[in-house]
Amino acid sequence: MQLLQLLVFPGLTFFVWIAFAFEWLERKTAARMQGRVGPMIAGPFGLLQPVADFLKLASKEQIIPKHSEKFVLTWGPPLYFAAPAIGIIFIPVIGNESIIGHPLDLLFVLFVLAFSTLMASLLGYSAAGRYSTIAVGRLVVQYTSYEIPLILSVISPAILAGNLSLGGIVSAQSNYWFILSAPIGFAVFIIASLAELEKPPFDIPSAKTEIVGGWMTDFSGNALAYVKLTKNLSYVFLSALAVTLFLGGPNGPVLFHQIILQYVMNTIYFMVKLFSVGFLIFVVKTALARIRIDQAAELFWTILTPLSLAQLGLVILLR
Amino acid sequence: MSEEEKERREVGAGLMEYSPENLVPFGPVHPSLKEPEYFKLILEGEKIVEVHPRIGYVHRGIERAAQDRTWVKNIYLFERICGICSFAHSLAYTEGTESLTEFQIPVRAKYLRVLIAELERIHSHLLWLGLVGYWTGFDTLFMWIWKDREHVLDLLEAITGNRVHKSFSTLGGVRKDLTPALVSKLEEETKFITERVKYYETLVHSEETLVSRTRGVGRLTKEIAERLCPVGPLLRCSGIDRDVRKEDPYAAYEFIQPEVKTSNAGDIESLLSIRLAEVTDSCRMISEALDRLPEGPVRVPFPRIIPRGDAFFHVEAPRGELFYFIRSNGTPKPERVKIRTPTLANLLTAAEMLKGRPLADVPVVLTGIDPCFGCMDRVTVIDVDKSKKWSVSGEELRVYGIEYYRRGAGKR
Repeated sequence: MQLLQLLVFPGLTFFVWIAFAFEWLERKTAARMQGRVGPMIAGPFGLLQPVADFLKLASKEQIIPKHSEKFVLTWGPPLYFAAPAIGIIFIPVIGNESIIGHPLDLLFVLFVLAFSTLMASLLGYSAAGRYSTIAVGRLVVQYTSYEIPLILSVISPAILAGNLSLGGIVSAQSNYWFILSAPIGFAVFIIASLAELEKPPFDIPSAKTEIVGGWMTDFSGNALAYVKLTKNLSYVFLSALAVTLFLGGPNGPVLFHQIILQYVMNTIYFMVKLFSVGFLIFVVKTALARIRIDQAAELFWTILTPLSLAQLGLVILLR
Repeated sequence: MSEEEKERREVGAGLMEYSPENLVPFGPVHPSLKEPEYFKLILEGEKIVEVHPRIGYVHRGIERAAQDRTWVKNIYLFERICGICSFAHSLAYTEGTESLTEFQIPVRAKYLRVLIAELERIHSHLLWLGLVGYWTGFDTLFMWIWKDREHVLDLLEAITGNRVHKSFSTLGGVRKDLTPALVSKLEEETKFITERVKYYETLVHSEETLVSRTRGVGRLTKEIAERLCPVGPLLRCSGIDRDVRKEDPYAAYEFIQPEVKTSNAGDIESLLSIRLAEVTDSCRMISEALDRLPEGPVRVPFPRIIPRGDAFFHVEAPRGELFYFIRSNGTPKPERVKIRTPTLANLLTAAEMLKGRPLADVPVVLTGIDPCFGCMDRVTVIDVDKSKKWSVSGEELRVYGIEYYRRGAGKR
C-alpha cells in the first residue's frame, strides 16, 4: 500500500503530472502576458504540449561530447532527477502526514535542495564545454548567495511550529498560516526559489543570449529530456515546500466527517495553493529582466540575508 | 629576422599568452546573434580582456554583382544588402545615381522618400529595442515591442506593397503614390506609436532589472568616439552632435528638419533613450511631411544610360551614416559601386566598449550598436599568420583563386 502511495498517489506519478501541468501553466501565463497565445495544438488548450515535447526529446539520439566524462554524463541525469523526486515524497498532500514522515525531515529536504545544485554543477563540469564551465561557475556563486537566505527563511516556520518535521509544521498551521507571522520569510523564500530554479531575474547560469544553454549546453536527447523534467519537478517541489511551510499545506475548512472525502478536499486545497504559488512565480518571472551575477550576489548578501535575519528575530520574539 | 616577421611574432605573442581555456567563442552561430559573425573573447574569469572580431561569414559579393547589372536592376540588388534598412540602401543608391545626371526629381517624390525612410527608422529602432529586451532576458518587453512594430510593417506594406524589401525608391522618383485613405491611416498609426513609445520611455528608465543591466554599461567616452569614429546613434550617445540628415540634407530633409538628440552618458541606457527619442521625432517628421505634402507627379522618365562621372553619397540609415561611392563610365551598367555600411564603422567601437566588462554584458553591448553583419561583410582578407589586411576586388580574387588552385595548394 505504501509502495503504491509512493509511486502513484500522492507520490511520483502524481507530481510528475503536476510538473507537466506547471510547464503548461508557465508557458500559457508567459504567452498571455506577452500578447501571444501559447501552446494550443496538443490536447485541449494545449495541455498535452509539455508531454509531447518530453516524449519527442526523450526519443531523440543522445550525443555525448568527446571530451566529456561519460560516466557522469550517463548516470548523472537519473540521479539529478532523483533529488526532487525523493524530496517531494516528504510533502504532506492528503493530510497532516506525508507518506514517509520523519521527525527531522525538514533537514533532509534542505539537503535535497543542496544536492540538486551539486548534481547540476557536476553535470555541467562533466560535459566539459566552455559555456557549461562558465555556467557552473555562475551556478556556484549563485548557490552560495541564495542558500543562506533560503535556509534562514525556512527556519522561521520551524521555530513557529517548534518542530523540524514537515508534518508537524503543517499541523501547527491548522489555526492560522505562518505567512501571517512570517511574510518576509515567505517573500525571501519565493525570491530564493527563483534563484534555485534559475528563472528570471536569476536565470544567470542558463542565460541563453550569453552562454547558449548554460550548463545544459552539451546535453541532448534523453538526458536533456530528463534534465528538463527535473527542472519542472523542482518547480513543483519548491512551490509545494512554500505551501507546506507558509500556507498551511493541505489545511482548510473541514467540510466532511468522512475521512476519505476530507482527504479529497485536502488534496484540492493543496492543489489550489500549489498552483497559486506556481502562478505567482510565473508572473514575477515573466515581468522581469535578467540581472548580472555580481548584482545577484549583492542582492542576496546585502538585502535578502539581513531581511531574513530580521524575520528570524521577529519570529523568535513572537514565540 | 625581417621587419615583417618581427611584427608577426609580436602579434602572435599577444595571442599565445592566453590558454585555450580562457577563450570563449561568441559566434559564428550563437543565440544572441541573428547573423553569423565570430568574436573571439579572451576572459579572465567573467571579465573580458580582449575582443577579436572576425568578419566575412556572410560575404555575398554584392559589389561585384552590381557591375554586371543595369542601373535599374541594381536598385533591387542593393536593397537586398540588408533586410532592415533596405530602403536606406536603395535611397542612397538612387539619389547618388540621380546626382550624376541633371534630371530634377519631383518634390512630392522627395517627400515620399522621407516618409518611407522615417517609417523604416521607426521599425528598425523598435526592432532593436525589442532585442535589447531579449538580450537582457526580458522576453516580455521583446514580445510587446515587436507586436507594436507590426503596425509599422503593415503600414509599409500598405504604402509600398512589401514589408521588407520595399522597392519604393526608383531612378526618377518613387514607384507608388499615397491615397487619401493611407494618409489618414498613417496619421492614426503614428499617433499610436508615439503613445506606445512614451510608455516605453518610462519603462526603460524605471524597470529596476532592466536599468541595472543598461545604466553605466559599455561606457563610450568622447575620446574613444573621436578615435574610432563610430556613426549614428552610437556616436550621438557619446555627446557628438552629428546627423547626415541635418548636415548634408538629401531628399526633402532640408524642408523637414530632424531634431538631433545627444547624450553624454555613452551607455546602453542613453542609447535606449536616444533611439526612443528618434522614434518620436520620426513620428513628428512623418506628420509634418503629410501636412506639407505637395501635389504633383511622383516620377519622371529617367535615362537608362548614366553620364560618365563619380558620385559620393551618404544617407542617415537607422544605424548611422551609410556611404555610397558610385562610378559611371557612360554605359548601362555602373563601373564600380563601393558601400560602407554603418556596422563596419561601429564594430571596433563595440569591441572597445566591451573591454573590462563581464561576460554577461557581451550581448547587450555588442548588439547595442545594432549590428547588421550581412550589410557589413566586404571583400576584406585578414591573414592572421601575416597579420596583414588588404582589400581586393572581385577580379583580383578570381585570379588569385585560379592561381591558388593551379599551384596545387587547394589539393590538401
